[in-house]
Amino acid sequence: MKRLQLQRWSGSVLSAQARTGGRLQQRLYYAIRHQSTASPAAPAGNDQLVKKQPQAPSISSPHSQKSRYRLPSPPVEAARESAKLAALHARLYLPSRLPLETLARSLVHPSADPNPNFNNESLATLGHDLLTYYASEHLICSYPRLPLTVIFAAMYAYVGPKTLAAMAREWGVESVAAPGGEVDPGYLQFQRLAPGTDVNPETITGTERPHDDEPTWRKSVTSRVVYDNEYGDPVKGPVDPSELAERDAQTSQGVTVEEANASFVSAVMGSIYLHAGRPAAKRFFEQHFLSRHLNISDLFNFSQPARDLARLCARENFEAPVARIVSETGRKSRSPVFVVGIYSGQDKLGEGAGASLLEAHFRAAVAALKGWYLYNPLDVRVPSSMEEEGAAPWKPVHVDLGEVIV
Amino acid sequence: MASCLVASKRPLLALPFFLSSPCESVVLDLRRNQSSYRRTTQRLRVKPDASFGSSLIHTQEDHIIHNPPSSAPSVYLTPSKFLPSNDVRKNLRTAPANSNNSEELPPVVRAPSEKKYHLTPSDIREIRRLRATDPMTWSRLKLAKRFECSPMFISLVCETSPQKKEIQKRVLEAVQSRWGSKRRMAREDRQLRREAWGRDQ
Repeated sequence: MKRLQLQRWSGSVLSAQARTGGRLQQRLYYAIRHQSTASPAAPAGNDQLVKKQPQAPSISSPHSQKSRYRLPSPPVEAARESAKLAALHARLYLPSRLPLETLARSLVHPSADPNPNFNNESLATLGHDLLTYYASEHLICSYPRLPLTVIFAAMYAYVGPKTLAAMAREWGVESVAAPGGEVDPGYLQFQRLAPGTDVNPETITGTERPHDDEPTWRKSVTSRVVYDNEYGDPVKGPVDPSELAERDAQTSQGVTVEEANASFVSAVMGSIYLHAGRPAAKRFFEQHFLSRHLNISDLFNFSQPARDLARLCARENFEAPVARIVSETGRKSRSPVFVVGIYSGQDKLGEGAGASLLEAHFRAAVAALKGWYLYNPLDVRVPSSMEEEGAAPWKPVHVDLGEVIV
Repeated sequence: MASCLVASKRPLLALPFFLSSPCESVVLDLRRNQSSYRRTTQRLRVKPDASFGSSLIHTQEDHIIHNPPSSAPSVYLTPSKFLPSNDVRKNLRTAPANSNNSEELPPVVRAPSEKKYHLTPSDIREIRRLRATDPMTWSRLKLAKRFECSPMFISLVCETSPQKKEIQKRVLEAVQSRWGSKRRMAREDRQLRREAWGRDQ
């Protein structure tokens, strides 16, 4: 597959200030945003990544420092002066093609700067899509039999907002007390929520799901793929352009630290994709996200494992599962231990230990079901590996009936 | 080797016990404990596990000692029965298993009951009629005994009246109201432990 020329496109995500002579300059609204009193350079070389502006003398002048107070977020020129930003760039081992200006922009949440040319909303949207795509293809190809609810939980664990916020904290990203143009661009800029605000509204209304207003109706797990987000949580449907202003008013009230941090990590992913290309983005994902240990066997919760196992064996034409006592000790004592194995014919499916025969049987059935669900094929290849140059021909991944439906 | 020595010594130690059984004081005096250094070290001299290997053989070459503690098998090791037919590991594992097919399987926890399928539609109509006319007498257990099926099957066939459910609920509440704090807490803990089984904790 041919690699795409991303440098051409990435010009559109760079801010208007980095690209001189853009049509945005003609708008009156943005007129305030020009700190530099120097005349803009000739509009040449739009495909160049970062147009190195001539160091305007007014940047260091006290007049310019004052004008920064009027800005909602730090100006683009400040990115080159920030030690924090350079340190973050080096610490994350980001590709050198990713300029500091983009990194500074990915640190600006829309609640701090509503202007889409200066905040990280577009980068975060792109990065979020990439993260969820890479995480879901990894999960589905490595564990092809996982139940849908476990996939949702694992997705949340890999790329959920809590994980992203924890990663931003580990990367050493600090957040500002209040956003503004005068602060160091190495800080995460966002408007904080007022104390006492309810951050967890009980029900989310206005989803795309039909009969959304019926609280007692059953919501099937499969329908969550279609109507809900990648973690299986209800999400608001697409907003009309007329209601956009209302939504913007809500974000201007402030966001949680978690949400702002998560948007920053997604935006870094998106900017790596735009500036350094797909292989670098995938490498970044593998090094920072897949390297985090997630024990998928902890995400299961069974209520009737023996029944599920019997259904599974009947479906796959195995002999009916039989529980057998492998070993026991202290049957008549206060704390006995039984080890029960579940056998299908001559083969042992699972083994569990417990203080009663009932518990050991239950645990053995859970172990057997986990053995089924956590099947991991050899030589797993994900669809995105075909984007590499010289990739071997694609072989279809393992697909079977998977989840036991009772 | 050590166990053989102990076994051979036992009759000698027990000999005075049999000889002087009428006199208890003599027996107590003659019985000896193992509080001597030599006997203790002799009994603590346990043969090392085979996986540790003999140091005499492997003096020259380096080797890895793998002697894990006994633990539950990992759930990430898929049982060979659950492996799909195109997986390489399936054939690798089943080859040695076929050789010793005659090995005895451990005893079952509960003998699986044969399903009889003996009830006719008229029987089921009778079950429903009895349950509807006199739900207090004809409980699930009694119906199961009479028709020689499981209580589970009775619950599949018919449902009790709402009045009976209400009465049962009140009886349960009356019983639970007499529980003290200790018993109530113990019951709740039991329920929580049971829920933890499903999460494998």
